Amino acid sequence: MVRDYNNRHALEQKLRSAPTPSAADHLMVGHWRTMATVLARTGQAEAVRQAIASVPELSLRFSGPGEWLVVSEVEAPSGLVRRLGELCDGRAHVVDQSDGRVVFRLAGPNVRSILAKGIGLDLHPAAFTIGGSANALCGHIPVNLARTDEDTFELIVPRSYAESLFDDLTKMGRAFDLTAAFSD
Amino acid sequence: MASLITCPHCGLRPKEEFAIRGDASRGRPEPMDSDEAWHDYVYVRANPRGRTLEHWHHVAGCRRFLVVERDTATHEVYSVVDAAEFARRAAQ
Ligand SMILES: [Zn+2]
Repeated sequence: MVRDYNNRHALEQKLRSAPTPSAADHLMVGHWRTMATVLARTGQAEAVRQAIASVPELSLRFSGPGEWLVVSEVEAPSGLVRRLGELCDGRAHVVDQSDGRVVFRLAGPNVRSILAKGIGLDLHPAAFTIGGSANALCGHIPVNLARTDEDTFELIVPRSYAESLFDDLTKMGRAFDLTAAFSD
Repeated sequence: MASLITCPHCGLRPKEEFAIRGDASRGRPEPMDSDEAWHDYVYVRANPRGRTLEHWHHVAGCRRFLVVERDTATHEVYSVVDAAEFARRAAQ
């Protein structure tokens, strides 16, 4: 395989042990997820947001005014960048982040109690609605937090923080017997 | 968490997410202004008690610079605006 030389996930050491059956509260780490940052030019934020939001398989994660992380479950990194370039049509800068970030998906009935140990945001279902997202601190680690389903949240961190965040989330979830594994 | 700042982009956030960058009420001197003016601007700091304007950088959120008007004694926050918006209003 051509990319053998860099084909090592940031959490390969941490998640090396044999997978145990997942508990009610479970942490999934995407092996390779495709995402890119999009930064709109001045005055183009709303046009860019609408263009990307019109594509159902692209997920917009708010990170600042006129700036998003765009996550895709179907595209390859080069495909996503090309697709976003076409959609934005010169109205935004697009930078691939697929190898630079790690996605954690935390799901289960106690997901809010677990996250509340590290994140100072209102996570009530009425306050943090499905599709909502925000940049925040989890402990001391900057994360992008998004609610993707009823009791499912995704945390996106820079790759070099992945091991620290993994350790933190494991501790935060210990009281709820949180399990963890690669999702694919 | 006693100190909460309402970021215009991110909503109510704890102060741990911010870095305070000092006095926002002073304008930058012109490039050829006197050494005294530049010395004042770069090195001389007031330490006021009461209502002040400060630059707060939302490092762990939207990463925008904000101008926060607050009381340094009580930490009552009067207003928070994006620094670009603050500059636009000041220029008018
Ligand atoms: Zn903010």
